[in-house]
Amino acid sequence: MGVARLKKAELYYHKSVHEQVAAALQETGACQIISTSEENHRPPADVDALISGIDEKLADVRYLTRTLTPHYVDPVPALDRMLGDRPDVTMSELQELASTTDLKAVCDKTRAVEHETGEVRLKLSEARLNTSILSSLEFFPYPLSVITEGTKTLTGLIGTLKPGSVSGLKAALGDLSKYAQDSELIIAPYDEKNAQEVYAALIYSRSIEAEIKEVCAKNGLSFVEVPASFTGTADEEKEKFTGAVSELEAKEAQLAAKMSELAEQNVPTVQKLSDYYNSLATRYNGTAMSEETDSVMLTKFWLPAEKSDDIRQKIEAISPEIELTLNDPAADEEPPSLLNNGDMVRPFNILTELYSSPKYRGIDPTPLLAPFFWIFFGMCLGDAGYAIVVFGTILYVFRKYKKISLGVKDFITLFLFCSVSTFIYGVISGSFFGNFIDSFVPVLIPLKNSLMLVDPMTNPMQVLGISLLLGVIHLMFGLLIAAYDKIRHGEFIDAVGNDISWFLLIVGLCLFGVGLGGMIPPHFVQVGQAMAVLGAVIIFVYAGKGEPNWFKKIINGFLALYGSTSYLGDILSYSRLLALGFGSAVIGMVINLLGGLAADIPYVGWLVAIVVIIGGHIFSIAINILGSFVHPLRLQYVEFFGKFYTGGGEPFTPLTLSQEFVNVKA
Amino acid sequence: MEHLGLSLALFGAALAAALAGIGSAIGIGVAGGAAAGVMTEDPNKFGSCLILQALPGTQGIYGLLIAFFVLNKLGLLGGGGAVALTWNQGLQILASCLPIAVVGWYSAIWQGKTSAASIQMISKKPEAMGKAIILPAMVETYAVLALLTSILMLMGVQVG
Repeated sequence: MGVARLKKAELYYHKSVHEQVAAALQETGACQIISTSEENHRPPADVDALISGIDEKLADVRYLTRTLTPHYVDPVPALDRMLGDRPDVTMSELQELASTTDLKAVCDKTRAVEHETGEVRLKLSEARLNTSILSSLEFFPYPLSVITEGTKTLTGLIGTLKPGSVSGLKAALGDLSKYAQDSELIIAPYDEKNAQEVYAALIYSRSIEAEIKEVCAKNGLSFVEVPASFTGTADEEKEKFTGAVSELEAKEAQLAAKMSELAEQNVPTVQKLSDYYNSLATRYNGTAMSEETDSVMLTKFWLPAEKSDDIRQKIEAISPEIELTLNDPAADEEPPSLLNNGDMVRPFNILTELYSSPKYRGIDPTPLLAPFFWIFFGMCLGDAGYAIVVFGTILYVFRKYKKISLGVKDFITLFLFCSVSTFIYGVISGSFFGNFIDSFVPVLIPLKNSLMLVDPMTNPMQVLGISLLLGVIHLMFGLLIAAYDKIRHGEFIDAVGNDISWFLLIVGLCLFGVGLGGMIPPHFVQVGQAMAVLGAVIIFVYAGKGEPNWFKKIINGFLALYGSTSYLGDILSYSRLLALGFGSAVIGMVINLLGGLAADIPYVGWLVAIVVIIGGHIFSIAINILGSFVHPLRLQYVEFFGKFYTGGGEPFTPLTLSQEFVNVKA
Repeated sequence: MEHLGLSLALFGAALAAALAGIGSAIGIGVAGGAAAGVMTEDPNKFGSCLILQALPGTQGIYGLLIAFFVLNKLGLLGGGGAVALTWNQGLQILASCLPIAVVGWYSAIWQGKTSAASIQMISKKPEAMGKAIILPAMVETYAVLALLTSILMLMGVQVG
């Protein structure tokens, strides 16, 4: 239980076996290399050479993953993959695969296809652009060479103008103007109401080109550049491009199919190699921290004390010229922290890790928070029906997927545990899919009522009381842990002044209040009173400690006592246990009510009712699990941890094999 | 004037569902914008972004919950006919709806902003998901307290 004891290992070995040693350290999955503190540390030359070789391969693998994965249709659904449905391979199989796979060739092929696709796309967009230009030039009845080249005496231009300017242009250049003899104006047909711009073409004698252009500019005609390659009529030219577009589109589709084929052939291999080379990179970047002499290397790492014998055996089997020394961490060293909890508590590790790992010599809060989180989650979700659904789903997942990775499995197990507390609270508060029993199966009402211990619907104050009481217990437990931690470090006075004093004051006040309410025997009132006064006095005196000025001493004392308001806030915060439990029960009730109303629809009512009830409850389970996870977690982090826990440790991160795509075994 | 009580009570239910719902809609909208921005860079973050985006949605549900609570109390659900209410009782029910209506409205908006910031945070530090969920949940505390207040007030109001 708690933070695992670590040993600091110093491993001396001959350079000739450095690859085997690195592999062995990684295979154990329990060695965290200690990074060198030297600023200009140079990795041993042998390791450095290996790393640069691997980096080259990794660049290829990354390129292929990036380029091919979007074209790859994974036959295994992503959820199945996450739950461990993926190939098992060993490192030696992967090594074999790596030596028989020509990554460079695959890269070259992929690059060629990628390059060609780029070119085809460029041409395609050019052709599409030209087709659209030509569509707007269709009104021009002559070959476009008149515009782009001209004849000996004639030339022309094409432009666009606003519909409002058309009449002005006509007047200046049309049949009745002085240019009528030497020019021809063609206006494209347009929709007078909606057109944004109108195409116009002009053919004119070269001799008056300058004048014509000036008149055009005055009348708001902006010139359109016609590509010089257009010589035939617009229709003829367009035909050429239409042919080209469909040809290019076919080519593009062909290339996409080629890419998919490449992806289908290579992605599974590339994924395996990705894990392989990433594993090797991690491995040798680890031993790159080693120091070297001419023939010997020294690697330092942390390892859990309980695994040291196994690891020693494994390493010493490699070669007789290996020396492993194990030492306890020195007092000034800060080793990483590894949470070491049994099967019942381990699923809760993630809650601690989400906040911050404990320091190596600190307290592991996981076993302390686990029972509270379990109860709080149960109270917030609080429905026997929902608990059965969650429990059943998780059992199904565990039965179907045998290879779920440990981290994912622990996280799911957390909810499996919590579904049990949810079921218990659901039974004692009489909630089964909301008020499903009352609404639809009245036969079971006596059974339900006989098991009920609390009834939040008719007597919410009772559950509010329980919630706040749990809050007081949780907070007081936190204070006692803080006191224990201080006493452990010899800070006895601080423990009494900071923690025990508040414990006395609050527990005393609670006993006093509850006693006055007549719920416990009256002599507890006096005990409570005495505890509260003693606590208050200690707080008052402790706050003035070290302050020579008597006046300031008194002020500090009162300020410290004023801190009791924060405890009031902390305790009231636990009222959310009632509110969220109430919330899920009422949402369930609303869904049953809607289902009941839907059942009144003639003929199809029963069907609608079933859809509403099943869909509604699935929604309710999802939204309430989120709330039931987040709010109890907040009670741990803010109210509970606030009393004793700051975290701040480095999590233990051993050298492991990369398992992004496949299950790699040593 | 005989139905004034009923009208006031219904007005309260409407405020609870509507204001808290508006707040949630705005909050989810703000968070959704941030989520979409993050997902353009990394579509794989969809799962965590969705959870953070959903957080400011609870206020709307709390409002709905109170609205149903009121309708149930008034006997408007399931064909039994409405109970008789004095205008004073109606006003009491209206008052009971105000905590979740007002606090739900504002807290959802601010929770949405915090969620959006948290979404930005996990785009840079995906491992900080735990902390990213807790920050918006701090805001929700006050919606939970308002819900509790509304429920306790409604239970205290005697009708029929």
